[in-house]
Amino acid sequence: MKGTYLGEFEELVLLSVGILFDDAYGLAIVDELEKQTGRTIMISSAHKALVRLEEKGYLKSKLGGSTETRGGRDKRLYQLTQAGKKVLAESRELRNEMWKQVPKIVWEGGKL
Amino acid sequence: MKQNQIAPPRWALRFFKWFCNQHLAEAVLGDMLELYIRRRKSMPKWKADALFVANVIQFVQPFAIRGKSTPTLNTFDMYKNYFIIAWRTFLKSKGYSFINIVGLAVGLSACLLIGLYVKHELSYDRFHEKADRVYRVNMELKFGDNHLNLAVANPLFGETAKIEIPQVEQTTRLQWYGSLLVKKGDENIRERNVAWADSTLFDVFTLPMLWGNPATALREPNSIVITESVARKYFDRADVLGETLTINNTESRKITGVIKDLPSNMHFQFTSFVPVVEREDALEPTWAGSQNWNTYLLLKPGAIEAEATSLLNKMVDNHLGPELKSILGKTLNEFNSEGNFFKVSLTALPDVYLRSSRIGELFASGNIQYVYIFSAIAACILIIAIINFMNLATARSAKRAREVGMRKVMGSMKSALVGQFITESVLTCVVAMLLAVGIAIGIIPFFNELIGKPIEISLLFTPQVGGIVLVLTLLVGILAGSYPAFYLSAFQPVSVLKGSKSSGGKRSVFRNVLVVFQFAASVLLIAGTLIVFRQLQFIQQKDVGYNRSQLLTLYNIDKLGNRTESMKTSLLQITGVDKVTVTGYLPVNFYRSNESFFTSPSLEVKDMISMQKWTVDDDYVQTMGMQLLEGRNFSRDIAADTSGIILNESAAKFLGTDQILEKKLYRLVNEQTKALKEYRVIGIVKDFNFSSMREQVKPLAFITGLNDGGMTVRLHAGDLTQSVAAIETKWKSIASDLPFEYSFLDADFDQLYKGERQSGNLITYFATLSIIISCLGLFGLATFMAEQRTKEIGIRKVMGASVSGITTLLSKDFLKLVVIAVVIAIPAAWYFTSQWLQSFAYHTELEWWIFAVASVLALIIALLTVSVQAIKAAVQNPVNSLRVE
Repeated sequence: MKGTYLGEFEELVLLSVGILFDDAYGLAIVDELEKQTGRTIMISSAHKALVRLEEKGYLKSKLGGSTETRGGRDKRLYQLTQAGKKVLAESRELRNEMWKQVPKIVWEGGKL
Repeated sequence: MKQNQIAPPRWALRFFKWFCNQHLAEAVLGDMLELYIRRRKSMPKWKADALFVANVIQFVQPFAIRGKSTPTLNTFDMYKNYFIIAWRTFLKSKGYSFINIVGLAVGLSACLLIGLYVKHELSYDRFHEKADRVYRVNMELKFGDNHLNLAVANPLFGETAKIEIPQVEQTTRLQWYGSLLVKKGDENIRERNVAWADSTLFDVFTLPMLWGNPATALREPNSIVITESVARKYFDRADVLGETLTINNTESRKITGVIKDLPSNMHFQFTSFVPVVEREDALEPTWAGSQNWNTYLLLKPGAIEAEATSLLNKMVDNHLGPELKSILGKTLNEFNSEGNFFKVSLTALPDVYLRSSRIGELFASGNIQYVYIFSAIAACILIIAIINFMNLATARSAKRAREVGMRKVMGSMKSALVGQFITESVLTCVVAMLLAVGIAIGIIPFFNELIGKPIEISLLFTPQVGGIVLVLTLLVGILAGSYPAFYLSAFQPVSVLKGSKSSGGKRSVFRNVLVVFQFAASVLLIAGTLIVFRQLQFIQQKDVGYNRSQLLTLYNIDKLGNRTESMKTSLLQITGVDKVTVTGYLPVNFYRSNESFFTSPSLEVKDMISMQKWTVDDDYVQTMGMQLLEGRNFSRDIAADTSGIILNESAAKFLGTDQILEKKLYRLVNEQTKALKEYRVIGIVKDFNFSSMREQVKPLAFITGLNDGGMTVRLHAGDLTQSVAAIETKWKSIASDLPFEYSFLDADFDQLYKGERQSGNLITYFATLSIIISCLGLFGLATFMAEQRTKEIGIRKVMGASVSGITTLLSKDFLKLVVIAVVIAIPAAWYFTSQWLQSFAYHTELEWWIFAVASVLALIIALLTVSVQAIKAAVQNPVNSLRVE
């Protein structure tokens, strides 16, 4: 199922949009991702992921919230859709489920 | 001010706005500006600018470029509409479309064929795995007045180079064996292309061996390596390793290898190879003496040609020195200080065929000049065809001006109109190209016969050629469509719809330039053709110094042995036979032998003449119809004639001007003992051509003796077939074991100039083609003009104009253009043809009337084409033409 697959980076972007709530736009998302992950994020890759997520229906966007510091230009503000929330929840669910199935001995570093 | 300071580079901003889609542009730009302003606080402007530019470039990706905001605009429908309109326009004027497509298709197919030919010529010897490391050795010799450029080297050259020069990895030699008679059943079949080859042949050349071991195949005496087709000829199968072939009736050779047939793009085309080890003289230590082995060197990977060449030259000097000392009693320095030298050069294997025509090449080589000429012709034809296309399209633009106007009024953008016309023209080109490929496939067999090369149709379908064809189609489509496209799309809708632009004939400067160019190219080709033909005729008719008609050469004479003399006498009894001479040395054959003669017994280099030494019998001069200028012929009654010598005029010039008869000449017969043979000049024969007309006649001497390389018969005029039949009967009665094989000397002579004649024919065909294409275009243009002026003609006729007056009116404009074309073309034609003629030592003169004929021809053709239409328009009833609207 191509449409529902979510890459790691895409998942992080979705979560950032959730964290930033009412000010989730390109650069803010980049900042958030850099802060959270410690990686350097290219502004173009963030936007690329945003466009794709919007196409998949996990995000919706509107223009607004221009400020002096950006030459009076509008931001594109993103918001999670129902589908976006659902896919995040599913992803988390899946992880939890799989975590549970890993035998304890693995985490405790026992020998076979 | 402050704002200005923090602004990133304007051009980057603009660029971004230009490529980025609506959906993202605003927001992303905002983000980037915000980031930029942030960065400016912590870093210098240039750095922030650079990072900004980097950011912009990062966005050059499909997701940011593609039109997000207008996903509903259906471009498919638009293109579908273009196709429909193109199809309708096509149907609406079938005549023009036909001229357009056929003209283009014919031009393109000519280009395709020439392209394949050029590709084939350029592909020679490139397929060898080590092609980039293999070099052929050339020797340039200068001693006394002799200056020779040889494609051959002495017997020891290769082996010595391999031992002494670290760059040389391997070497191999080839030499013509001549022909073999191979027995099949009771019959003897002649194998003509046989070579002596070293056992290292397969280390240097890529000749895949089907059966046998390449490393050992040519090691043993009496072995032979044959090609697959030779094997099939004698055994009806290819796996004949270990079988024996009976050669010349007596010897037998064991087949030690069967190789694949040699590809046609290889500079030698041998079908059998015999081992060099059988030759006693194969390792004769002579450096100054006989140079007669085509020697190839395989250099080590990474070796530099120039370094190898200089080392080879040193090697030759080292070995030549002692030898000169013993023969001439001179040191190398003394030898060189007299202006003499032995110089080695290398020719890269892929260049041997096209870029080398030295003495001693194995097979007739190609000519890079023709590759250039044909490429130029192909370009000419292509340009003429494209011009036709453009001309017709622009001329017809008037008809479509209303369509353009309507489209513009309905909101069509200029770019969309350009797109439409380019689509149309590319479409036409695709159709034309398909047609062209069809035509090319259809005439390839004929074309192959014309050029004497087996070019395969499958070459057309290789990815490389396919790619070129595709690119060519698009390029021609865009190129040919661009002018009409921009011209038409620039129309002002108001003026077009008002009707003031309905006569597209007014703005025709550009079109006129194109017509001029087209006809200039045609005149150039006509003049070129005429001159090539005159030169070929000149070669045919030039007094070559002997009479080549009714001369019949018989082969297999060397196999006759002691029957030669009886064969000669019994042939002379036949009524149709006039004279008979026995020798292999003929003006058109490949029996040649170059020797050094001296005018004094002291063997001074300055007294040396390098001459052809032909061993002939006393009937030779009469049989060949040569003319003795001074002295007398050999006579079998004068015993002293065994040391007599007859020179040609060129050789006589070496001996000075007065009293050449009775002068003495000397030839070294044994290098060790320095034994000399003395000759006495008894006659001078008129110069005759014995190599290409491209070269001056070289010095030549006849000596008398028996050479059984061939027998030449002069027949009486009359029924030649009957005479040949009579000769065959005689032959069968004396030598039933040998095949009766013969050729006519004049046919052999024609064979010498086959390359020239083929090229001449090709040029004629292509010149005709280009003229036809030009005329097609002119025809279309004239038709259009007449149509445009229908009303004008009608009114003129009503007012009393005559048919001839109107015809003149319509033709005049075109003829003016053709005249201008002629004026431009003639100097160019003169330049190119004189360049070509210079490459012949014997050539015709350029005469003004050739150019006059070419010009008049072009004019007449143009006039005929145009006037057909003009007359048609002029004889129309004015009532009909005035009712047009």
